[in-house]
Amino acid sequence: MDTIIIDGLSFALPLFIIAIGGIYSEKSGITNLALEGFQGFGAFIGALSAVLMANASGTDIQNLFYVALLFSMIGGMGFSIIHAVLCIKFKADQVISGVVINILALALTTFLTAQINSFVFGTASDKFQLGVSDRFTIEGLANIPVIGAVFTNVYPFEVIIIVIALFAWYLLYKTKFGMRLRASGENPHSVDAAGVDVAKTRFSAVLISGLLSGLGGMCFAYSISANFSSNIYMGYGFLAIAALIFGNWRILPTLAACLLFGFAKSGGAFIAQSMALPSSFTDLFMILPYVLTLLLLIFFSKSNRAPRALGEIYDKGKR
Amino acid sequence: MSDYIVEMKHITKRFPGIVANDNVSIGIKKGEIFALLGENGAGKSTLMSMLGGMYEPDEGDIYIRGEKVQISSPNHAAKLNIGMVHQHFKLVSDYTITENIILGVEPVKKLAGIFPYVDIRSANRKIEELSKSFGLEVDPTKKISDLTVSMQQRVEILKVLYREADILIFDEPTAVLTPQEIDFLLGIIEGLRNGGKTIILITHKLEEIKKVADRCAVLNKGKLIDVLDVKETSTRKMAQLMVGREVNLKSDKNPAAFKEEVLKVEHLNVKNEDGFEVVKDVSFTIKSGEIFAIAGVADNGQVEIADAIAGLTKVSGGEILLNGKDITNESIRKRTEAGISYIPEDRQSFGLVLDFDLSTNLALKQYYREPFAKKGILNKEEFEQFGSSLIDKYDIRSGQGIKTQVRSMSGGNQQKTIIGREIELQSSLMIFVQPTRGVDIGAIENIHKMMIKERDQGRAILLVSLELDEIMNVADTIGVIYNGQLQKIASSESLTTNEVGEYMMGAKHE
Ligand SMILES: Nc1ncnc2c1ncn2[C@@H]1O[C@H](COP(=O)(O)OP(=O)(O)O)[C@@H](O)[C@H]1O
Ligand SMILES: [Mg+2]
Repeated sequence: MDTIIIDGLSFALPLFIIAIGGIYSEKSGITNLALEGFQGFGAFIGALSAVLMANASGTDIQNLFYVALLFSMIGGMGFSIIHAVLCIKFKADQVISGVVINILALALTTFLTAQINSFVFGTASDKFQLGVSDRFTIEGLANIPVIGAVFTNVYPFEVIIIVIALFAWYLLYKTKFGMRLRASGENPHSVDAAGVDVAKTRFSAVLISGLLSGLGGMCFAYSISANFSSNIYMGYGFLAIAALIFGNWRILPTLAACLLFGFAKSGGAFIAQSMALPSSFTDLFMILPYVLTLLLLIFFSKSNRAPRALGEIYDKGKR
Repeated sequence: MSDYIVEMKHITKRFPGIVANDNVSIGIKKGEIFALLGENGAGKSTLMSMLGGMYEPDEGDIYIRGEKVQISSPNHAAKLNIGMVHQHFKLVSDYTITENIILGVEPVKKLAGIFPYVDIRSANRKIEELSKSFGLEVDPTKKISDLTVSMQQRVEILKVLYREADILIFDEPTAVLTPQEIDFLLGIIEGLRNGGKTIILITHKLEEIKKVADRCAVLNKGKLIDVLDVKETSTRKMAQLMVGREVNLKSDKNPAAFKEEVLKVEHLNVKNEDGFEVVKDVSFTIKSGEIFAIAGVADNGQVEIADAIAGLTKVSGGEILLNGKDITNESIRKRTEAGISYIPEDRQSFGLVLDFDLSTNLALKQYYREPFAKKGILNKEEFEQFGSSLIDKYDIRSGQGIKTQVRSMSGGNQQKTIIGREIELQSSLMIFVQPTRGVDIGAIENIHKMMIKERDQGRAILLVSLELDEIMNVADTIGVIYNGQLQKIASSESLTTNEVGEYMMGAKHE
């Protein structure tokens, strides 16, 4: 039981922060299928800077966790500029841009990882080894039955994510930046008429989505995969998109969707393990979150409403 | 120093392929209501958009309060205390009234001295006071999606007042309102003037100008024709200047001669995509030689009725009979063949294939049968002959005759294309949905004549229109719809414009 909660949370929260990134982009009116690519590329930059620094200074890579986190955000944000420029400046089709960016991220990071490994470190490897980040347990609270698991074996990034998520909520719903961002996704003409630059607003929204996705990807790399490799492109970005759609493009319901996915995943793994099934069957249980996605899709797709101007190219001159 | 608060001197503005404003000079005095009159496409909105900061002129200068300015953005215009109430509302339907009004000029407070946040509460209070002081009462916490069109317009006006504008531009503000709402709005506009504001009123409705305006500039095809003193000019003269020739404001028509029943609609119900009933138990009949018009405020179910008859929407209950035959569940093509012509509201997406040439578009409803196609092979010559004959018959003007891409044609000529094509079908029932929307006065006159001619030849005509004038003008019978229900069906002679307006708002019951 405890492991279900512990593993569920550590999967759900990175997913959640990627989904928040998606919410920012889509609330501003830019369809974002590129989350998958953003999180992968962000994790790549984060992992790369960690290995390079560990190599140069001789510090243990575990201690460079926060450095990696910082660089993953920068990397994700930098990569997201491509999507922003294509969609906003060149008015490209947002779906196509997203798909292309995902392909590009996978190809580019796989290639670069192998090249850097062979040229810089002289090893033939297609991954950067990172290890698993340290965890902590809050003593008193961990002893409470059931809920105690929430405070047991916590990754530090889980706390960071919650703090950032709170701030993201405040920014989106309480500040004038957020108000303008959401209006850009509903009716950009009204924003323009109010003298606010729609393009700039959307640009920052896409950049925020890159930043948060990079962070999420790094957390995955430092926990469940313990390295950076092309395995990071497991569809987390798409799962995050599913979560934000079920969450109706709102932050709290999206958290609920992420938790559901997280617990479905850890629950599936737990069942598979406790029944001591051969590994080929374990994989069957791993599809649980995706089956859940399909089921939820049937129930939720009707009542949910996307931002009105989502995916629409905004042309100032056009009436 | 002149006595003008706004002066536009020798303004020229070009768009690709068109001169929207051609060397226009006007001066507007402080505290007057200055009307801008002109047909659709005359360049009124463009001229005023340059005051509102949406466009900059290609040539010419603008002076505000005697100072030369280059208005580079709506923000800049707001700083000069100029505000524009747009023809198409620019509102976020998910936001409250307050949120819409303060967007772009949000009052900000700090929580714990660090975190800035938008102070909605004090904004609510301020807007409530503002709305009361101008007689535009609103509940600032209501969402736009819950408001009627006229309420949304109030929000647009409040937006401008909140930004402390004292030069207010209204772009065709009455186009979407009922007669009662128009009277109210004109009252508000007069009140604003009496409070010292300067008003520019764009319109093509002469009575409104007569009612409130002090002076009036007439634009035609981008050029300034004249600036008139409203009190000393007759409506007739204004209309003449606006169109550039004598116009007949009232279409003459012979008394109607109804014959056999063509369309019978019984207890019709239609649901929209969300499963919401938008047409409720509607019954009416149209006879040969009758123009039956459905009057109503936008989105009250009138378009759905037309779509249901034409087969574009599914019927959820009731029956539709054409010449005695039940067509309730027939396909669109079957209905066309049974005798229905349809001129849709959105002519660009439903009426025409914009990237096809004119002759193909003209044959679009008949291409699959002889003589246009023999055994599935299209006969090009037949298309061309048919196209040429229709171009002459319906006076369709275009750049390259039958080869013209329809996309490049003006709205009025696109409309003539559809109407000509549909008349040629010789259907017993013709459905017109907003046939004159976005078409200039000269073409409107033309379209009305065509409709009346078809009526006289014994066709049954269903007209759906938001323009009450149009309905009063051409209809023989009027059905007024409100909230999906027909409130009243009566001959047009027995109803006044005001009565129809009251039924349209659901205000009048018997
Ligand atoms: N943004 C634009 N791009 C191209 N053409 C335009 C644009 N805005 C207006 N026009 C053209 O300029 C002319 C004047 O338009 P407009 O000022 O809207 O007329 P009005 O308001 O008098 O109906 C029209 O022919 C219109 O098609
Ligand atoms: Mg206009």
